[in-house]
Amino acid sequence: MPAVELINVSKTFGRKKALDNVSLSVEEGSFTVMCGPPKAGKSLIFRILVGLETADEGRILLSGRDITDEPASRRNIGYVPQSFALYPHMSVFDNIAYPLHLAGTPREEVAREVDATVAMLTITHLVKKTPDQLSGGEKQRVAVARGLMKDAAVFVLDDPLVGLDYKLRERLMDEMKQLCEELRTTFFYATSDSLEALTLAQSFIVLDDGRVVEKADVLSLYAEPQHVRSLELVGFPKANVLQATSAGGAVDLAGLKLAAPDGLAAGAVLAGIRPEDVRLDHSQALKTEGTVQIIEHLGSEIVVYLDIGGSPVTAAFAADGVVPPDLDSRIPVSVDPSRIMLFETASGRLLGRGQAGGAVHG
Amino acid sequence: MVDIVIENVTKRFGTFTAIDGMNAVFEDGAVTCLLGPSGCGKTTLMRMIVGLETQTSGRILFGNRDMSGLPPRKRNAGMVFQYPVMYQTLSVEENIALPLNQDKSLSAAERQRRIDEELDVLDAGGRQKVAVGRAVARRSDIVLFDEPTTNVEVQAKLLLIRAFKLVTQRLKQTIIYVTHDQTEAMTLADKVALMRNGRIEQYDKPANLYHRPASDFAGWFLGNPGMNFVPARAVAGGAETLLTAGPLALEGALEGGKEFRAGIRPEHIGLSDEARPGSVPGTLKDINVSIAGRFIARVTVDGQDIKVKTDRVPTARRGGQVHLFADPAEMSFYADGRRIAAVPAGGQHNR
Repeated sequence: MPAVELINVSKTFGRKKALDNVSLSVEEGSFTVMCGPPKAGKSLIFRILVGLETADEGRILLSGRDITDEPASRRNIGYVPQSFALYPHMSVFDNIAYPLHLAGTPREEVAREVDATVAMLTITHLVKKTPDQLSGGEKQRVAVARGLMKDAAVFVLDDPLVGLDYKLRERLMDEMKQLCEELRTTFFYATSDSLEALTLAQSFIVLDDGRVVEKADVLSLYAEPQHVRSLELVGFPKANVLQATSAGGAVDLAGLKLAAPDGLAAGAVLAGIRPEDVRLDHSQALKTEGTVQIIEHLGSEIVVYLDIGGSPVTAAFAADGVVPPDLDSRIPVSVDPSRIMLFETASGRLLGRGQAGGAVHG
Repeated sequence: MVDIVIENVTKRFGTFTAIDGMNAVFEDGAVTCLLGPSGCGKTTLMRMIVGLETQTSGRILFGNRDMSGLPPRKRNAGMVFQYPVMYQTLSVEENIALPLNQDKSLSAAERQRRIDEELDVLDAGGRQKVAVGRAVARRSDIVLFDEPTTNVEVQAKLLLIRAFKLVTQRLKQTIIYVTHDQTEAMTLADKVALMRNGRIEQYDKPANLYHRPASDFAGWFLGNPGMNFVPARAVAGGAETLLTAGPLALEGALEGGKEFRAGIRPEHIGLSDEARPGSVPGTLKDINVSIAGRFIARVTVDGQDIKVKTDRVPTARRGGQVHLFADPAEMSFYADGRRIAAVPAGGQHNR
C-alpha cells in the first residue's frame, strides 16, 4: 500500500491552473524526491497534502485512508516547510520539542529525542538560543529538526537544504538517507536542485507546470527519459536541449543531419543530448567543431562549455589524467546519433532517438 | 605587482577568534582562492587585507610595505563585493570609469583605452560583471573578490567566470577570491588557501589539494562527494586497512600508537560483481546517478558505508554482494587529521 496517494488533484488560483490533474503515489519506506523547476507546483502539493490548502478536486490518501476532508491537525505527517516559521518567543529546544509536547510525550522522552536530533544536525550548541539569534542556515537546521520530531508515518520536506553550503548539504543528505533507512519510514522530498535530487532519490517524480510528467526509479529515468524535463532534471550537468527540424527522414540539427527514427513527422523538434555523450574528438558519427567558452574543474570531473555555431553546448567527462583544452580554442566535437533523443516541441514527449551510425551527408 | 604577506595575524571579535595567528604569502600575479565553510574566517581575512577591518595583532604587508593604519583608499586595492555596489544613475561605462577618473596620473586617452578594453571583454550585461570591470580597469596591484557569484543565476555566473578568467590571464594582478564553492575555487585559482577555524589548512595548487589533501578536512571538503575514511592499523611491512586485502608498504610510517585512518576518493575505488585479487566484499546499499554519466554506489563494508564512483551499474541488486578494490596508490594515511603517509608510486599489495 502506498504511504501517500494523490488522485486527480487540481487547484486553480484565479485563472491560473496551479495543479492540473495530479496523480501520484509514494511507496511506503521509500525516499521519493519530487523535482521540477521553480513554481512547478511542488510546495503546493505538499501544502495540500499536510492540509494547509484545499484541493478544488481530487482525493488524498494516507496509508490507504482518505484524509481529503480531515483537518491538518489530524494528519500524521512530519512537515519541514520551505519558510522556517519558527516560534520567535520560544527557545530552539522548545521549538524543536513542540510537536512532541502537542502529542503529550513525557518530559524525559522529549529531552532524549531532542538531544539525539540536534546532535545529528550539529545544533546542540544552539538549543538555549532564540530564533532571532540564529543565522539563516541555523534556522533551517532547527526547522528540519522540528519536522523530524513527530512520530509520523510520512515526513514531507520542502526544499529544506536550499541555500546551505554544499558540504553541509552533503552531510545532511547522508544523515537523512540514514534516518529513512533506520526509521523505516517514508520520506517525500522536494527540491529544484538536480544534484541534490539525484543524490537522495530512490524514486523520482518529475514535475513541470503543475503536472506530473514522469515517475520512475532514478536509474531507469536516467537511462530512458520519456519527457524532455526528465532528461534535463535527471543527470548533471543539465542536458543540452537544442532546436532541430525534421524533414524527409532526416533531422537537421544546426546544419548537421542525422537519420530520423521511423515515422517521425516533419516539423520542429527538440533534440536532447547529455553532456556525457558529447565527445571532444571525432570518434562518433556526427561530427562538428566548437569553441571552448569555459572549463569547470569539479575534481573528478571536467565540464567544458562550448559554443557550436552560436548554440551553447555542454560536455562533461571524467578528469582521470585528461588535459583539458585551452580557453577560446577551436576543437573537434562528435556525438553518437543514437544517443540523441528527440522530443515533441509542444508536449515535451519523447518521439525517438537518432539512428546509430546515421549521419546523413549532403 | 606585489605579494600579500600575512605575518602572525590574529583577529578577535570579543571572545571569538576569527583568525588565529596566521602566517601566509599570497603570491604576486596569481589568483588565490580563500576557500572554506561558513565561519572559517575567509571573509574576515579578506576585509583585513583591504583595510575594512583591523587585525588585533600581527602585520599585513603588500610587498614590503606595511599596511597597518592605512585606510582602504590608500591601499591601492580594488574590491568586488558579494552584493555588487552599482551607481545606478551611471552607465556601465561611467561605472567602470569612476575610479579611473580619480587617478590624475592617467591621460584621457589612456583612460578611454582601458575602459574600452574592459567593455570589449564584458560584452553582455550583468551588474556583477560591471563591478568586476570597475575593479580591474583601475589596474590596482591587488583586487579582492568577496563571493561575487552568490545570488547570481547559473548562466550569468558562467559568463562571469569566463570574464574573470580572460581578464586575470591578461592583467596578472594579484587576486584574492573568497568562495565556499569548491568548483569555483578549482576552476579559477592558481592556488587555493583552504581555511578552517581561522587557520589555513593547506595552501596549494588545486590539483595537489584534490589529489594529495594534507588533512582529512581537505579530503572531505573537496570532491563530490568527499573522501572516504576508513580505519587503518600498522602491521609488519606497512599498514592494513578496511578496504585492502593484504598489508601495504608505506612511504612514511604509522607511529606513536595513535588512531590511524586511510582516506580514498570515491572514484579511486573499483566496483565489480566478482571477487578479484586484492578486493574486499561488501553489501550494496543503493546506487544513484552522479555527475557526467557516472554512478555513486553506497556499499557497506564491515558496518561502514563506503561511497564508490563507478561508470557502470553492477548486476547486484540492493542488499546483494559486490566487491571493492581500492587503488592503494590513491590512498593517504592520516593521524590527528594530518597526512602522515602514503603508498609510494608504483607501490603494490604485498601478496
